[in-house]
Order: sequence, then C-alpha cells, then structure tokens
Amino acid sequence: MVQINLPHNSKVLKGDYYKDKTGSKNIRKVNIYRWDPSKKENPKIDTYEVDMDNCSSKVLDILNKIKNEIDPSIAYRRSCAHGVCGSCAMNMNGKNGLACTKSHSELEGDINIYPLPHLKVLKDLIGDLSTLYKQYESIEPWLKSSNKNNETENLQSIEDREKLDGLYECIMCACCSTSCPSYWWNGEKYLGPAVLLQAYRWIIDSRDEERKERLQKVADELKLYRCHTILNCTNACPKDLNPAKAIAEIKKMLATT
Amino acid sequence: MDNKNPLSPHIQIYSWHISSLVSISHRITGIINILAVILICLWVAYLLLGETNYEIIKFFLQSFFGKFLVIGIVWSFCFQILAEARHLLMDLGYGFELKTSKISGLVVIFGSFILTVFIYLIGR
Repeated sequence: MVQINLPHNSKVLKGDYYKDKTGSKNIRKVNIYRWDPSKKENPKIDTYEVDMDNCSSKVLDILNKIKNEIDPSIAYRRSCAHGVCGSCAMNMNGKNGLACTKSHSELEGDINIYPLPHLKVLKDLIGDLSTLYKQYESIEPWLKSSNKNNETENLQSIEDREKLDGLYECIMCACCSTSCPSYWWNGEKYLGPAVLLQAYRWIIDSRDEERKERLQKVADELKLYRCHTILNCTNACPKDLNPAKAIAEIKKMLATT
Repeated sequence: MDNKNPLSPHIQIYSWHISSLVSISHRITGIINILAVILICLWVAYLLLGETNYEIIKFFLQSFFGKFLVIGIVWSFCFQILAEARHLLMDLGYGFELKTSKISGLVVIFGSFILTVFIYLIGR
C-alpha cells in the first residue's frame, strides 16, 4: 500500500547537538539519523560539528571520525571501505550510495545521513534487509546444469561471457532496491531492482539450463511488472550498473519468447 | 521482524531527478485525463438536450477559468502522449542510460508545453 507519511513511532525528532571542541575553522555540520532500540523513543537527528581539516575524503571517514572522536555510540555497518563489500550503503543528502566511495566534497551544504529508505531500522544507520535476502534466495541464484562431468571446464564463448558484464559486478548493497518507490510500496511482493538484476544474471547465463523456468518464475504482475521505469535504481547504483535495463530485458524476453 | 521498530524515512528525504518527476507526473496526468474524458462525455451528452445548453457551455469555456481548464487538459494530454512514447521506447529496451533518460525526460517536459502552445494556436 502507498503510505506517504511515516508511522507515528517513526516520526523523526530533533536530537542532540555536538559542538566542535577542536577549535578548527573548517567545520562541517553532519546530521545523522539515530535510533536506539533499548530506549522507547522516536528516532532523532543528531548534529555533529566535524573538523574537516583532519578528515579524509569519504563520507565513511566522517562517520569513523565521529565514532572515534565524538560519539562512540553511533552504529553503522562497514567492512572493506573500498566499495567491494556493500556494507556501508546508506542515504546521503537524499541519494543512496556507499559511504566508502562517496566523497564528501561532492555533497553540498550540511551532510544529512539516513539509513537506506523504507526499511525497519535495527539501530541508527542499520536497516533490516532480511526481506530482500529472502527474495534473493527465492530466485535460486546458482548455476543449474545437468552436466555431471566434473573433469572438464564448463566453457562459455567470449560473446556469451560478455552478456554477463554489467551484471556480475553487483555487490547486493541494496542501494537500488531501497531507492525504488515501487519497492517501498510493494516491497513484500515486488522483487525489486537488485534481485531482478540477479535474476537476469542467471537467465542470460549460457551455461544455465533452466532459463524457461526462471523466466516463468518472475513473470508475475507483482514480482516483475511493478517496475515503472522511474530509474531511481540506475541513478543510485554505486557500481554504475543498470538494474532498470536488466528488468526491461527480462520483460522483453518474456514478450518475445 | 520486530514490527515496533521504526521505518526509515523514504519519500520525505529522497531527492528527485528528471526521470522520477516524469514518472510521477505521468501518473497524475493519467488521472486528470480520465476525469477530462468523463467531463467531455458529459459535455457532449449535455449538448443533445438543446441549443441553450450550448450557449451556457460556450460562455463558460470562454471565461478565464474555462480557458485555464481547457489549456490545462490539453497540456495534460500532451504530457501523457509524450511520456507514453518515452515508455514505449523503454519497453523496446532503449533509453535506459542515465544521460539518455535525462534528455528524453526533458524532451517530455518541454515538449508538452511546446505542443500545448502549438495546439492552442491551431485551435484559436
């Protein structure tokens, strides 16, 4: 269901203000979404004054600086810090992306950091992605082949391999799915761009033998056709992939086979 | 899942871009067009009841509000047709690159106004 307003318990309040203590002249205000499950309070926005003279270039560096030097209670996911693991996906100044690859110099004005949109918040910037993972599991993301010969390689032509370019690079960070209004309103049923891109990755793989079954499985009014080419997904993807195009290719395959 | 957890902000914080604006406007103009078609049907049906009715409607359509309504409906139809053409191209698999989608979106937005002026000049 389309629900424009946030539920009562999710209304965001004004939070604490952490004034700069270093005396730096190069200060930037960073507003961060906070919610603590151990307290029975609404989420709030805490504001931190950050000394930018002693901060590296990425948004994740700001978060690390705040956690190390100002407020150790702040919670967020991060791991590789090089745009490979997809852990630090979050919403920065209104657009989803990876905090570790996003330069703060690209963001204008005060920096606003929120968790990925329309997720149940677990703590601060950490959203619950279990629905998305279940959907990912439902498309059976593994090679299905009757070839039991383990002695030789399962070869693929250069052309067939090229079809996987722009698909295999996906790191499942969920930036695209959580940017999609269709996924916000129908997240339980619509598979969303991330999972559909993965579905297409297996549909188009020349070594996979269940293309028909895979296509039939996603050919559903809600699972697939809720994509209305809003292109928030392609706009958000930190790896410059094109989930909207992948979805269009699935639709095209269904229409022509 | 613990349902007592808050929902993170979504449409309240997400920034707009050309493509999402065209998409939402496509929906809104779609609703306006359905209402407009109903209005036009009622108007035609009303005409069947006699000549005096025609005069009343003519008077209304020549008022400022009437003209605003007609031009608004014309724009809504123009927007819908251009956005629909964009959708058709996308269904064929074209125009998904960020730059292309931005340009085609701008074509839809500005094109709808140009087309409205054009139709206004023809129908004047």
